[in-house]
Order: sequence, then structure tokens, then C-alpha cells
Amino acid sequence: MSSVAVPLRAAARRSSPATGRGWQGMRRPMLGIGGVLIFLILWKASHHFAWTGAGTMPDPFLLPETLWDEWTSGRLLPAIGSSLIHYVWGLGIGAALGAAIGFAAATNSVFEAGHAYLARLLRPIPPLAWVVFAIAWFQVSHAGAAFVIAIGVFWVNYFATYAAVRSVEPRYYELARAFGQGGWWQRSLTVTLPAAAPGMLSGFRTGVGQAWMALIAAELLGVPGMGQEMNSAAGVGAYEAVVIYMFAISGVYAICDFAFVRVENRVLQWRP
Amino acid sequence: MAAVVEVDRVTLRHPNAPAPVLRNTSVSVEDGEFVCVVGGSGVGKSTLLRAVAGLLPPEGGEVRVHAPPAANRRDRAVVFQDSRLLPWRRVAANVALGLKGLELDTGEAAERVAAALALTGLSDFADRWPHQLSGGQAQRVGIARALAVQPAILLMDEPFSAVDAITRQNLQDELERIWQVSGAAVVFVTHDIGEAVYLGDRVVVLSGTPAGVVADITIDVARPRRREDPALSALAESVAGWLHT
Repeated sequence: MSSVAVPLRAAARRSSPATGRGWQGMRRPMLGIGGVLIFLILWKASHHFAWTGAGTMPDPFLLPETLWDEWTSGRLLPAIGSSLIHYVWGLGIGAALGAAIGFAAATNSVFEAGHAYLARLLRPIPPLAWVVFAIAWFQVSHAGAAFVIAIGVFWVNYFATYAAVRSVEPRYYELARAFGQGGWWQRSLTVTLPAAAPGMLSGFRTGVGQAWMALIAAELLGVPGMGQEMNSAAGVGAYEAVVIYMFAISGVYAICDFAFVRVENRVLQWRP
Repeated sequence: MAAVVEVDRVTLRHPNAPAPVLRNTSVSVEDGEFVCVVGGSGVGKSTLLRAVAGLLPPEGGEVRVHAPPAANRRDRAVVFQDSRLLPWRRVAANVALGLKGLELDTGEAAERVAAALALTGLSDFADRWPHQLSGGQAQRVGIARALAVQPAILLMDEPFSAVDAITRQNLQDELERIWQVSGAAVVFVTHDIGEAVYLGDRVVVLSGTPAGVVADITIDVARPRRREDPALSALAESVAGWLHT
């Protein structure tokens, strides 16, 4: 029933723009705003009635003021900038190495066999476990934070690339051979890379999100950035400021993701 | 007339298959000749074509190709049953696939692509993505891609079996015209007997397990041919008779 009803309703909606285009077009955003309002009311209520204990719930109504304070005190932008430095380096290095090694493992049987046990041994180690060595080797620095981020990003890209390359259809390799493009380099450039690009890019996108998680954790140890600002604000009970940094992370992530999707759509415009 | 391809007593086995699919099979193709290969499904027609293309090394025997060596063309080019266009390349870039690595003058690659597209009636489609093409158009791009490398031998593996009947007849007529213009020899694998006798100078019939050549029939009917020609029907009947041996 519903499989019939839905297309019919969709068709009706398209064919009669006069009957409530305004409401139908606004329906989703209105509901979305409604959801945010309900969330804010519950939040304010939990603050007002101290459901989580006195002084532990930030007041949502104080957030604009707190944002202004963080901005004018010159903490917010430098924190975002600092976070972006190790974010970009960690993401870039981790993704490049992960894609390269995943690609090599998927296309070279000697390399694949040689690295198989090692990968199985290292893979389960959580990126944060490397913090000890990040500090030992790089001290509390951008490089240390980038190192921890890169490890998490590495594995995501490694597996995505490996799986994407492995699932390239063999008939395209036969085609490449038939047209004189059968060598490793020619095959990689004409078939493997473009065919695996959708899978590799979706792995990279996962890495874009994963990198933020590792980043905040790495910064809680003292590398300057949004995570550290959160930590020091929490230390003095300034929970409103913590929330500002949480939303700042969310905002920067949204911008990164938006930019990435633009690039992805451009690179993959051949898809139907 | 000299042979451009000699398949000399080849035995072919699929990788990991327990038994060969073709045994002691010999076929030769003259320069510029149109040879159709017919046989039931699984008899090894496509396998034979892959061996001639150099994509499957024979277990026994030899495939010899006598095309004058040239750095600006390839001696063989394949048209696959599925058009096998690279979906991430526009039509023109797909047609240019085999040109990379050839020694071409500046601008010659673009000229070759334009000429191949013009010959297959696709000039207006150069900037399309493969998913924007019909089955018949995609198959013509596959033919253009093969023509662009100016092969001495055009190897075609049931190229029209996946398109509708009307498109198929159009493509057959177009192929005949293209073949006459290009001067390449054609090895055309099909399971359609009517198609084989309509297009071929010769029809080679494969049959048996493992298969071999059971008949090699010359289609001595002048071109342009008519599909309703009784002479072709008679030849088709004789091919059909050999198929079941």
C-alpha cells in the first residue's frame, strides 16, 4: 500500500504547486526548528530545576553572552586556529599514508602478505593509546596531537582504500590490457584509482569526522586548541564556555564536511 | 592476400578449469577479411577471441599476428559484449583510451578521436558520460574506441547481443560500412547465425567438447547484401546443420 501511496502523493505535490507549496516547502525546516526549540526548553528546564545537580547544567540563555566573551577575550579564534593546525596535518598525513598503504596492499600480493600479520597486530590499538608515545616523541606539541590524529585517520583510510581497490571489477583490468594499458602504473591510473575513488573518498570523509574525536582527546592532554580551552573552562566550572567550544567544534566540522562534499561531487561527477 | 592472424592448433583452458575448452583449433584470417565465429554457448568462442587478442595465453599451439609493426597504432583492438566503457570518462576520453602510449604527433590523438567518433556517428556525444548513453550508443563508443588505435584486426565479442533487434540491424549495417572504410580484418564472434552469414566473408563453426572447428563456410554473396536473400538463408541452414555436429 505505502509503496503506491508515497509516489502518488509525491506526484500530487509536484503537479499542484498552488496548493500549499509554501507550507510543504517550509514543513521540514519548521519541524527542524521546532525540534531545536523543544531541546532548548528541556535544556533550560533542566538548568532551572537543577535536574543534574546544582551548578552542573550550563544555562542555554547565557550562551550568546559567553560566546561574546570568548570572542572578545581573544580565546576562541586562536583556539580554533590551533586546533586546525594539527587537524589538517594529522588528517592529511594519516589519509595519505592510509590510502597509499591500503592501495599497495590491495594491488601487490607480496606487500599484502608481508603486511597482513602486522596490520592485524596494530589495528586494534586505539589511537589514544599512542598518546604516551606522542608525548615521549613530540612532547606536548602540534606534532604530538597530529600524530595521534593521524593514527586514527590512517586506519579508516587504509581499510576504505583496500576494500575499494579490491572490489574494482576485473573486466576493467582486462579492458586496460586489451588497450595497451596493462602495466601497474597505467592500470592504476586508468582503472584502479578512478574506480576505487568513491570508496576511498567515503573513507576519507569518515576520517574527517574521526579526526575531530581524536583531536579533542589529544588536546585534553594540553596541546593548545579547542579541547584544551574546554578543559580549562571545565576546571573552573564555566560550563557555558565548554558548550561554546563544543558548538565551535560542531561548526568547524560542518564547514569541513560541506567543503569535502563539494569536492567529492566535483571529483565524482561521472556518477549517474 | 596474406594471413593477418593465424591460430595454429591452439588448446585453450580457462584459468583453474579442469579441462580445455578448445583443442587443436586452427583458424586463419586474411588481411581485411570479415570472419564470423559461431557456436553454442560455452563452446569457447569468446575464449578463442580472447586468445587472439592476447588476453589469454594458449596452453598449446600458437597465435601468430602478422601486422606490420608500427608505433602509432595497435595491431589488435577488442570490442566487448558489454560495451565496457569506463564510467568515469566522458565519451571522447573513453575513445582515447588505447592512444596513450602510442607515438602520435601533437594533436593527432584528438584527430583520431574525432575521426572515430565521426565514423560511428557519435560526434555530438563526445562530452557525454557513459551513463547518459543508450545501449546501442555505448556499443558504438566501444567500436570507436577500437577504431581509434587503427588496428589491423578488429576483434568483436558478440558486440550486438545486448541491444534490441532494430538497433542491432542498424549496427550491423554500420559495422559493414565501417569495416569497408577502415580496411581492418574483423573477427566477429556471435551466436546469431543470421548475423554471421549476413556480415561474414566466412563463417567458422565451433562445436564439440572440447570444441574445435567443424566447418569453415565461405559466404559467397556480393555486398551490399539483403537480409531476405534466399542464398543467405540457405547458407544459414547449412551453418545450423554444422552447429549440431
